[in-house]
Formats: sequence, structure tokens, C-alpha cells
Amino acid sequence: MSAPENLTRAFDGLASRVDATGFRSVGFTSALQGEGVSTTALGTALSLAALRQEDVLLIDANWIEPSLTRDARAESAAGLADYLANKSDLASVIRPASRSRLAFMPVGDRASARPTLRSLSALLAGDAVADRTIIVDLPPILAGEPFVLPWAALLDQLFVVLREAATPLPVVRQALARIGLATTPQIVLNRTVAPSADIAAAFAAART
Amino acid sequence: MRRYVLAARRYRWLLAAIVALVWGAGIIAAYVEYSTTYESEAIIWGQRPPPQLATSPDDPGLTVVQTPASQHAALLTQLIQTDNFLVDVVRATSSADAFAATGNQQRYLDNIRKGFHVQALGSNLLSVSFTARDPRTAREILDAAIAVRGQRVAESRVAATSAVSALYQKELEVTQARALEAQQQLDQFTESHPGTLSDVDQHRKDQLRLALDFIQIRLGDLRGRIDQAVLAPALVDVSGMEFQVLDEPREETSPRGGTKTAASIASAAFVAGGSLAALLILIGGLLADGLAGAANVGRLAPAKLFATIPRVASRAGGQDLRAGLAAVAFGDGGAREAIGE
Repeated sequence: MSAPENLTRAFDGLASRVDATGFRSVGFTSALQGEGVSTTALGTALSLAALRQEDVLLIDANWIEPSLTRDARAESAAGLADYLANKSDLASVIRPASRSRLAFMPVGDRASARPTLRSLSALLAGDAVADRTIIVDLPPILAGEPFVLPWAALLDQLFVVLREAATPLPVVRQALARIGLATTPQIVLNRTVAPSADIAAAFAAART
Repeated sequence: MRRYVLAARRYRWLLAAIVALVWGAGIIAAYVEYSTTYESEAIIWGQRPPPQLATSPDDPGLTVVQTPASQHAALLTQLIQTDNFLVDVVRATSSADAFAATGNQQRYLDNIRKGFHVQALGSNLLSVSFTARDPRTAREILDAAIAVRGQRVAESRVAATSAVSALYQKELEVTQARALEAQQQLDQFTESHPGTLSDVDQHRKDQLRLALDFIQIRLGDLRGRIDQAVLAPALVDVSGMEFQVLDEPREETSPRGGTKTAASIASAAFVAGGSLAALLILIGGLLADGLAGAANVGRLAPAKLFATIPRVASRAGGQDLRAGLAAVAFGDGGAREAIGE
């Protein structure tokens, strides 16, 4: 198995479920910063591109901490915000990534526009994105609710990423309550222990 | 255990800040303590303790078996415990004005008292030191303490000598009276028995003469003791051997004497920082109410578990996975090197 496949293997299960449910557009958010949302979005996009054998568009919509844009070294490039502000057309803000079948849309100039339901509807209905699987990296709900809610209403599914045994439950409940206005998100549990360890623990628990 | 590890990782920056703050403050305090502590020390040779110190203060009849150095050290330590002695010491230094102006003189004296350290170094050698915030004060206080101690011992010795002399003098007077009486008895016996004496009378006269001789010997002994009581201590003082300062107190040019205290402060800060961090981890771990596993996602209903992402072992600080993914997706040459491509 090659190195890239080794890297995305952790996200294969998530990508397979997305594929099986037929979702065409999904977004990843969290309750707090540092839960691994951007990494999850990136890994899922790569895994899904390989799995579906079709184009996947990864959108950095994290207005608070656009780390994917930084990873792509596209901080000064036009992006989503520029498109929403009608400064750039859609084709010009979508950058082909080095990986085949993966395209990337950086966040762009965040001061120029904010995501709204109307503008995002237009984006998702556009020809340039309509035939692709859309993966959106979103900011944490509690810190960036205005940037998450429009996406939550439009995406096929919104995922809240939690770190196992680390993210405080009251905070998660608070975040879910806020986003519950627009959708019922599903949970992606990040950094779980290996399943084999779980089985061993279950056997041990059963014996006692 | 896992919850505490997670709590430590979650609060790592807070922990680092707390530890840095406590340890930093401790190190700074230790450095300040070390760099502003000056110790002046005198090395003293004690030849013979004052006679009044040869007996226990609790039981004057009991002779104390101690080396000269330990007896001198005990005397100095006892003197230092008295406010009266310290007041005389402080008034003999340039700190007298500051002492007079201070609102809480007792605390001032207590601080002075804490600065003294008396230690017997051998059978005859002892060390007396004083630590202060500046070298001049340290030297002045120590000089003054040695001088005031000398005055006190001299005064004590005069009083003791006077008492002994008075006792001997009283005994001398009694013995002189007895000598006079014995002489009179002998003279009367001689007058009342002229001529040749019988054997019985001769024996009686010999007894009277012997008693007179004994009393006169006692008189001579008492006169000698009186002379010794007055002259002997004075002779020792003149020779300077009883309490001889071999190394005079000096003004140190570099900090000295604060190493132990500074080490204690730094150690205390180290322990306090560690304890505080451990406490925070303990509380954080106990209060953490995170999802312990996939089975607990039901607590977030109506949200459901969609998928899990297993923990990926990283080579350095958990950044390998993200850097590798970014390299694959965006073609970062540096990151590709990181994943071995």
C-alpha cells in the first residue's frame, strides 16, 4: 500500500459511509477549536475522491481559522469570500489540487463577504460545483455560529467532530442546540482507540 | 488514567503557564534572595569559659561537661535570645536610628535574631555569623555582638568575683575571730599553769596549740583564695586567651550565605508548581465529562453517531498526519519529505 493510501486509511470508514448514504455535500464542524475538523475534512475528501472515482471539491469555509488555505499556501488567492462578494467567478476560485479528482476552494478575502443562505444556494446550484461531491470545512459552532448556520441549512449532512473522551459533553450539547435550528447533525468521533483494544476491553469487562 | 492524560493534554498551555509562573517566580525569588544576602563571619578561639558558665543554669550544683567552644557557643546563643542584648547590639551600629524609628521594634529584633548563626567547629573553635541584606550591616552587627558579649561577660564576672570575694571575706573574719579565741585560750592556759606541767596538762596545751595552728593555716588559705578570685579572671582577660577572635568579621564584596535559603525557595517553588499542576490535572480529569466511547453518543440524542476515526500514531507531536495529508492534496514538497515520499 502506498504512503498516501496509508494516510487516508483512517478516513476510509467515514468516506465509505458518506458514499453509502449518497450524500453529495457534507460539512464538518465542531463545538470547540482543536477537535481535528480540518484534518477530518481533508482526509475525507482525499478518501472519497479515491473511493467514488469522481471529482471532489474541498471548500475552506472556516472564516475563523482557515488552516486548509494556509496548507495550500493560498492565503492571498481569491476564494469563497471573493465569489460570495461577486469579485470573482466560480471557475477562477476553484484550484485543482495536486491529487487527481480533488479540487480546492480557498477561503479568500474574508473581509469582503460573509456566507448567507442566498449566496451559498447560488454557489451550490452552480454548474461548476453541481457535478461534484462537496466537502466543507467549517469553523467551530460556538465561536462561529453565523458562518455555520447557512451551510447547515443547505448541505446534505452536517457532521460535528468530537474528540473521544476529551470534548466536554455540556459544550457539545450547547453547540448541538444552536445548530439544531437548521439541521440535525450527526457525530463523528475522532481519535478513538483501536477497535481491537475495544474488543479486548469488552471481553475483559464481560469476564468481570 | 487516560482521562488524566487527556486532561493534561487539554490544559497543557494552562499547565505550562502555571508551572512557568510558579517556577519562574520561585527562581526569581531565589535569585533575589541569593544576590541580596551578605554574611559576615567571625572565627573564635575559646580557651577557657567564664567560671560562672562551668555550672548548669538549671542546677548550679551540677558541673556541665562541655568543650570550651560549645560553652562559648551556648553563652552567645543564650545572649542572642534576649531582646536586651540585641538592643545593645543594634544601638552600637549605624542601624540604631533605623531601629529607633521603626514602628515594630520587636519584629526588628526578631529579624536580627534570625540572622545570627553560632556553631562550634571543634573543641575550642567556634564560628559566629550574621546575614543581612547588605555587607556593611552584617559586619557591624557581628562586631557589635562580639563587643557587647565581652561587656556582658565582664560585668557578670565582676559580679561573680565580688560575691565569691565577699564570701571568703566573711569566712576570713570568722576564722580570724576563732584564731584570736584560740590564742586567748592558749595564753590563759599558759598563765594558769606555771612551772612544770603534768602529762595531762601538757597534752591539753598541745591540743590548744594544734588548734591554733590549724586555724592559722586556714587563715592563710582563705587569704590566698581571695587573691585568686580577684586576680585570676583579670589575668586571663589580660592574656586575651579566653575568647580570642581569630578571623575578624569582614564586609563581603560578593553575596554569601544565601545559598541554602535560595535553594529552599527554589525547591519550594518547584514542588508547589508541580503540585499545582498535578492538582489541576486531577480536578480536570475528575470534572471532565467527555464521551468515553462510541456507545455514549446516545447521550447526545437526537444526534447520532455517524462514524469514528481511529487515532493515528504520529511520529512527532501529532503533526505528521495533517502534514502528510496536506502534502498529498496540495503538493507541499516539504511535507512530502515528512511522509517519506
